[in-house]
Amino acid sequence: MRYIILVILNMPIIILALFNILTQYKMNKVTKRRFQRQLILWLLILIVLICSFPFYNYLVGKPLLDSTELSLFDIFQTTAIIMLFYGANSQRQKIERTEKTIRDLHQEISIKLSIKEKQ
Amino acid sequence: MSGKKIQNRVCIIIPAYNESTSIVQVITDLKSTFKKTSYDIKIVVVNDNSKDTTAILAKEQGVVVISHILNTGAGGATATGLSYAEQYNFDIAATMDADGQHDPWDVLTGINEIIKRNDDLLIGSRLINSDGMSKTKIIGNKGLSAITYILFGINSTDSQSGLRIFSRNALGQLRWKTSGYEFCSEMLWRAKQQKLRIGEYPIKAIYSEYSKSKGQNNWNGINIVRSLIKRRITEMFE
Repeated sequence: MRYIILVILNMPIIILALFNILTQYKMNKVTKRRFQRQLILWLLILIVLICSFPFYNYLVGKPLLDSTELSLFDIFQTTAIIMLFYGANSQRQKIERTEKTIRDLHQEISIKLSIKEKQ
Repeated sequence: MSGKKIQNRVCIIIPAYNESTSIVQVITDLKSTFKKTSYDIKIVVVNDNSKDTTAILAKEQGVVVISHILNTGAGGATATGLSYAEQYNFDIAATMDADGQHDPWDVLTGINEIIKRNDDLLIGSRLINSDGMSKTKIIGNKGLSAITYILFGINSTDSQSGLRIFSRNALGQLRWKTSGYEFCSEMLWRAKQQKLRIGEYPIKAIYSEYSKSKGQNNWNGINIVRSLIKRRITEMFE
């Protein structure tokens, strides 16, 4: 049951992330390479979440890897981590885009000013 | 136009930050080296918001001076110079340091070589023949080249060299994100991603007391490694 809560809580974040990357790709805002990498990354997170219960069952009884079942607190914590990861990832992309715009702008202004000065 | 046959329009870019001591000499030497060649050259000094008289002195030499409003670092200044070369349709562009450590004859050799070899990016390597280079600098540069190989899979003997020659094709395709000295390695990575042909040729480095004081030290090298690792990891999530 708890593992179902884990998937239910995290599913909207992952769907949002997949939806965002697909929209950006379709609007030509990201390259195919970036789209593929992001797609793989989020699908991987989704698979890990879905498979967490069978994976837990598999690990039970194995030395070193044996652990107790996830508590409700663990589930909220995992959800918070994924949420933070999503936030940090999208913010970083925004910062990089802004950085590029500023850099290009600075470059263009410097070139244009030097030409204007020469005339 | 005179009877001189123009083979190629070449843009020589000199990124400069507080280089008033050496800039005039560098420009003068370049001009005299290329005087008798068939290349139509344009020297472009990218003044990276210097606090001294670098821009004034360069302008007095009659070269194009692009002055940055903000200090961006060597990578940013080089990117501006290459963007200028691309916008003005130069056939070949070359970058060289403003501290006088590069021999203008090596620039000329590089331009001849890139035409002959049909490469897209040609790196002037100081380490093919490292005579005159201090042991510390050799270790530092070899270390950074090894890091470049580990992180990006590019085998270069001198990944940090400032003397580089670019084909028209490379000018149109090469873009990088870092703006400090780490751009040297990142540029090679981007060139590899764009499937550009990368080559090397030997050059000699002239180390005067001045160029030694201006060059990168090994602590700066550690900072470069840190930035490169960060860039490599970041890109894994892109």
